[in-house]
Amino acid sequence: MTDPVAARPSLAAGGAFPDLALPDHAGNARTLSELVAGDPAVLQFYRGWWCPKEQAFFRRLLALQDEAEVAYCRIISVSVDPPPVTAAFRAGLGARWTFLCDPDRTEQERVGLRETTDTVNDPYVPAVFTLAPDLTIHAAYNGYWFWGRPTNEELRQDLRAITRAIRPDWDAPTP
Amino acid sequence: MTASWCWLTLGDDAPAGATAAAPAWDAATGESAGWLALWARRAKPSREARRVDGRLLDRDGAPAHVSLVRPRPGVRLLFDDLAVQQARRDVLARPPQDAVSTLLSDASHFEGAITVARGAGVARLADDPFARVFPRRLLRVGAGVLGSVPAPAGPTIERYGSAQPWPWDRFA
Repeated sequence: MTDPVAARPSLAAGGAFPDLALPDHAGNARTLSELVAGDPAVLQFYRGWWCPKEQAFFRRLLALQDEAEVAYCRIISVSVDPPPVTAAFRAGLGARWTFLCDPDRTEQERVGLRETTDTVNDPYVPAVFTLAPDLTIHAAYNGYWFWGRPTNEELRQDLRAITRAIRPDWDAPTP
Repeated sequence: MTASWCWLTLGDDAPAGATAAAPAWDAATGESAGWLALWARRAKPSREARRVDGRLLDRDGAPAHVSLVRPRPGVRLLFDDLAVQQARRDVLARPPQDAVSTLLSDASHFEGAITVARGAGVARLADDPFARVFPRRLLRVGAGVLGSVPAPAGPTIERYGSAQPWPWDRFA
């Protein structure tokens, strides 16, 4: 039998992020690769609606939302909250990106992102990844301590680097 | 990048040569609204035809309720108009419907939208964000023409290659 811990993927820069398969905030079956859809992406794991640090970080992502929506970039947020709770939280935030729900913690176990110090909620440990369209990890941020989370400027730098690498017309075509 | 659109028409008579077609009725009165048809071909089937996301086409699709938003003849708005941008943001922020696609005939102009609803989504169809931009009709459409499409991922509201009807975003 395979040791599930030993079989976990490396979630460091340069590794491939697993193609998560989870319901979204509306209960639709989704995959991470489908949501990334060929674009640079910010993949965020958060504890839950109740955590004040997550609420503060979401305000940061909301400030980035208007840029992402015109820059062909994706944002995906993942927690253990079920779809009805997630849909209400998302609507209250005013977020327009897709939230994924892992109430059974199946993908949490696969990627090894359980916050072991919270035995009440068993949430995801806060983490942020910037991904290339093929789910290669460009950068990984450990958000257990709030200051480990990326600033919007760091996210902009990551998304710029990924976009530059994948868009053959980064240098605008000339006549 | 491959194109992924087809033509949509709503005409009085059963269309000959359409890839899929079904009768339509006014959702409020039950009166006939003609035939809604999708055409998977490059050539425009009629002057009134508009491009929609090709994934809407499903010959096995169940009957559906539809919000069809169309401008009056001769009227259209740029896709970059703030009203059109905000309507797309509102669509992304709300619970998804079975399918949604903007209508267009060129690379820059918004010329309406179609939203497909079934089940619990039908009640929400009355508040279609695109209906704040142009007039709309609420229709019932028969089986065999409209399918379901994965909800847009967001937050992107731009279109790829400009000639693509939003929210076509390269889902498999």
